[in-house]
Amino acid sequence: MNIRQVTLQGDKSPAINFSTLADIFPRYISKPVLITITKELLVTMSLLLGVSLVAFTILFMAPGDPFALLLGNDGSLAASEELKESLGISNSWAGQYFSWLGNILQGDFGTSIRSGEDVFPSVFEATLNTLYLTLAAIFITLSIGFPIGLISALRSESVMTRSLSIVAYAISALPIFWLGYIAVYVSTTYFDYFPLASGFSDDGEVQILKFLFPVLVLGIGSGMISEVVRHVRLEISRVMEEEYIRTARAKGASVWKHALKEAFILPVTELVTSKIPFFIGGAIIVEQIFNWHGMGRMAWQSAQDRDFPVILCITLVAALLVRGGSLIHKIIYIIVNPRASHE
Amino acid sequence: MRASFLHQPIELDIAQTRSIWKRADRGDLLNIAYGLIVLSTVLISYIMGTFDLLPYDPEEMDLDLMMMGPFTEGHLLGTDFMGRDMMSRLILGTQAYFLPGMLAIFISLTLGSLLGVLAGYEGGKTDKVVTYLNNLIDSFPRLVLILLVVAAFKPNIYYIMIVVGLTNAPIVAASIKNKIISLKQRNFVESAIAMGFPKHTIIFKHILWYNCRALLIIQATLGMAEAILMETSLSYLGFGVQEPTPSWGNMVQAGSNYLMQGDFWPSTAPALAILFTILGFHLLGDGLNNVLEGKK
Repeated sequence: MNIRQVTLQGDKSPAINFSTLADIFPRYISKPVLITITKELLVTMSLLLGVSLVAFTILFMAPGDPFALLLGNDGSLAASEELKESLGISNSWAGQYFSWLGNILQGDFGTSIRSGEDVFPSVFEATLNTLYLTLAAIFITLSIGFPIGLISALRSESVMTRSLSIVAYAISALPIFWLGYIAVYVSTTYFDYFPLASGFSDDGEVQILKFLFPVLVLGIGSGMISEVVRHVRLEISRVMEEEYIRTARAKGASVWKHALKEAFILPVTELVTSKIPFFIGGAIIVEQIFNWHGMGRMAWQSAQDRDFPVILCITLVAALLVRGGSLIHKIIYIIVNPRASHE
Repeated sequence: MRASFLHQPIELDIAQTRSIWKRADRGDLLNIAYGLIVLSTVLISYIMGTFDLLPYDPEEMDLDLMMMGPFTEGHLLGTDFMGRDMMSRLILGTQAYFLPGMLAIFISLTLGSLLGVLAGYEGGKTDKVVTYLNNLIDSFPRLVLILLVVAAFKPNIYYIMIVVGLTNAPIVAASIKNKIISLKQRNFVESAIAMGFPKHTIIFKHILWYNCRALLIIQATLGMAEAILMETSLSYLGFGVQEPTPSWGNMVQAGSNYLMQGDFWPSTAPALAILFTILGFHLLGDGLNNVLEGKK
């Protein structure tokens, strides 16, 4: 006990060989942390299994017989039964679910009813396109929302804070589809550039512009800016009242260095990972406006065509993104804050 | 001495509820006032639409008066690209989301309270099951799940609102659960149990009615904002209300065809209606939250 006190008092070198990164991410990952991470991994897998069950069941309950579609005009009930038998397809829910699950575990998501192609490669490509869009948009949202949240946490009652947060609320209530049209109008009228040209061509300069408008629209119009402001304000004002911040301030150390972990890294990872579903939702509309070949457009098209294999695959991939994001958040949280593994 | 000490907290509680509006932050009160104005406008519009008390026939075209801006004589909010009265169409547009939104709110509040009570009051294994269910619902991006349902069944606004209600339930459940956990540390739950009140009385009367109704009202306003957002988005995507029946979403969509020619009003008017209404419900919910639940 005494030794500890002495070293604390005699410690003159400032808070000390404080290499920030090493402080945030400890070099050794202890056993309880590993166990917790493994548990989270298992939970994630069971949730994905649950998602597959729910999604499959919804489509199983759908009215109409997909085999009637396959048979065309002579799709009588007897003919469809015969076809099912010849293909070895079970009539029961469990039989169909498990054979489908077995297939997707082997990477076979079936073929699209619309195009007749394998579902997985096209969904994979679309998912990558959507990921570029959503990640860039999340960056935009954070770079607008974080400073506003920071300012309002530090100066909570000023007029500027008030008006900034009302502006954030108003932007978040803006319908994204209208914002998209305005962006198209502005870019065609003032920049003489039509952002609807689809796909990713190779001419570098235009590509950035192509990227910029949809990303800005999704970043501003996703409705998440006010959430970011609120979350950041809450977290930062909470952290600023912690005792270690007061101590740091009292001894003249850099407050930001101490607050970085709890007031920046954790809120940002939480926001990035927990808002993924909302950005994917917004991406559905933005991709529609800008003719962006992503997952959202594909989901819209497949809902239009009742293309069950495609919409199932997209649902699973979207859930994988959501769960993956949440898993990453939990892993970072536990590594940064190993105490959480004992809870 | 002892007796007065026992009575004190109760008197304090009453004093607090009385002055809660007086002690409230002025900005919060302004937000609530704005939200209430929006809420009553929506309600009045819904009633006007139901009883057909519109200034004009919303489907009557006047080809001499197309694309008129606001404050045109006879048409306070102008006309759209077919010369139909904008105000009548905006008023009738509330029909598209109001009742379906109520369904979504009803589902999210009932299911959310049920899950929240199970998780918070029972705890233990039940809590784990509820957490799993909440995480399962949260794993679906909302619009993707709606598109899945649209693909499976038909694009029906009530199916869509059932999904919206279900996907809102985890948020309600989480707030009820946290509230119950904090309530359980206070004595009245323990004394109610000791006095032999049946479980359902404690849960429904003491916990949900006395202590969670403010929370439920707040969640209901936020749920309405969510329902409006979803209805307009889906009408925009073509899975909601179809022309010529007006919905704010399909009005933006139809009006946007004329935007490229520089005619902003037909798509901007419904977009502003969406903006002000969603903003109103958000500010109302947050303002009430700050005042009634004391969260800053």
